Amino acid sequence: MRRVADPRHRAQVAPVLPFLRRHASLMVIGAISVASGAALWRRDGADAALHALVHAWDLFLFILPSLLAGLLLAAALRQLMAPGALARWMGADSGWTGLLVATLAGALTPGGPMAAFPLVLVLAGAGADRGALIAYIMSWTLNGFQRVLVYELPLLGPSFAITRLLITLPMPLLAGWIARRLPIAWEPPK
Amino acid sequence: MTPGQIFLWAVALIALGFCLRRGPATVHRAGVESAKSLLKILPLFAVALPMAAFLAELIPADAAVRWIGPDSGFMGIVIGSVAGGLMPGGPFVTFPLVLAFAKAGAGVPQMVALVAGWCIFALHRIITWEYPMLGWRFVAIRMIAGLPLPILAGLLSELIAEFIPITLGTR
Repeated sequence: MRRVADPRHRAQVAPVLPFLRRHASLMVIGAISVASGAALWRRDGADAALHALVHAWDLFLFILPSLLAGLLLAAALRQLMAPGALARWMGADSGWTGLLVATLAGALTPGGPMAAFPLVLVLAGAGADRGALIAYIMSWTLNGFQRVLVYELPLLGPSFAITRLLITLPMPLLAGWIARRLPIAWEPPK
Repeated sequence: MTPGQIFLWAVALIALGFCLRRGPATVHRAGVESAKSLLKILPLFAVALPMAAFLAELIPADAAVRWIGPDSGFMGIVIGSVAGGLMPGGPFVTFPLVLAFAKAGAGVPQMVALVAGWCIFALHRIITWEYPMLGWRFVAIRMIAGLPLPILAGLLSELIAEFIPITLGTR
């Protein structure tokens, strides 16, 4: 009965959640991948499944150069920038300028959610208001340079990627403006 | 290499040049970080790209036409936005799947809405990152503020496509 209180036991349980969180997408996508591969094999035979794998490999080789360059650029930018310094432009009274700075900073933020959300906390702690934080997140996810250059442009082609980017470019400003006017109370986490 | 790739390499090398001005240790740190992220991403690619390729074969050639085809109009844009929010996983899943949908007959405005919907609403990202770090009130504010955006993006691209044809895919 006392096993739960045993620190050794807790030490074994504790890492399970972060492990699941870190590898959740890998496991979900892996499961869908195996299931769809098996379905294709059953319907069209081994040749079709193999053909699809070759196609996936070609696609990988096609993205690889931009993937490597994107990761290098992202890592270099992380060494050069101190995003907390921008937060003093993003306060509740910063108006459109604050939203513009947040939109620009978001588009320049490289990396996935494991990089961006800790930065959101840094910005919130340094004084950015909710409008600026929402503009920042929206701009990172909609207009983030890394995502567009590494994935969208090579995979979907310049015509689609550039049009899509031009359309969504000003949208974080709009979202931040709306967010400042919503009557929902929110305090930044301490 | 495509022009986009050449541009990306040029910008990356310039950024590394700025790192070098801060000393070789900074360049070294950037290199180590890149290698670490690559090792983190490669397993995801190893499962996501085959998944997209299998699904592209499994989906019949005209399956998407009725729901998200070029003539599905406003409803197709709404369906695309919602489907985008439910896409499980990062860009390595979504963009290959968009290619697969396009092959199955999806329209460009509907795919613009899908990409925007995935960016704004990505459910898996809210559950794993945004809700635990910022709380449900913040999530609610951002969701309401972002609600019209994917549909607006789809409608705008439909308007643009009237004047300039937008092509999807590189081949």
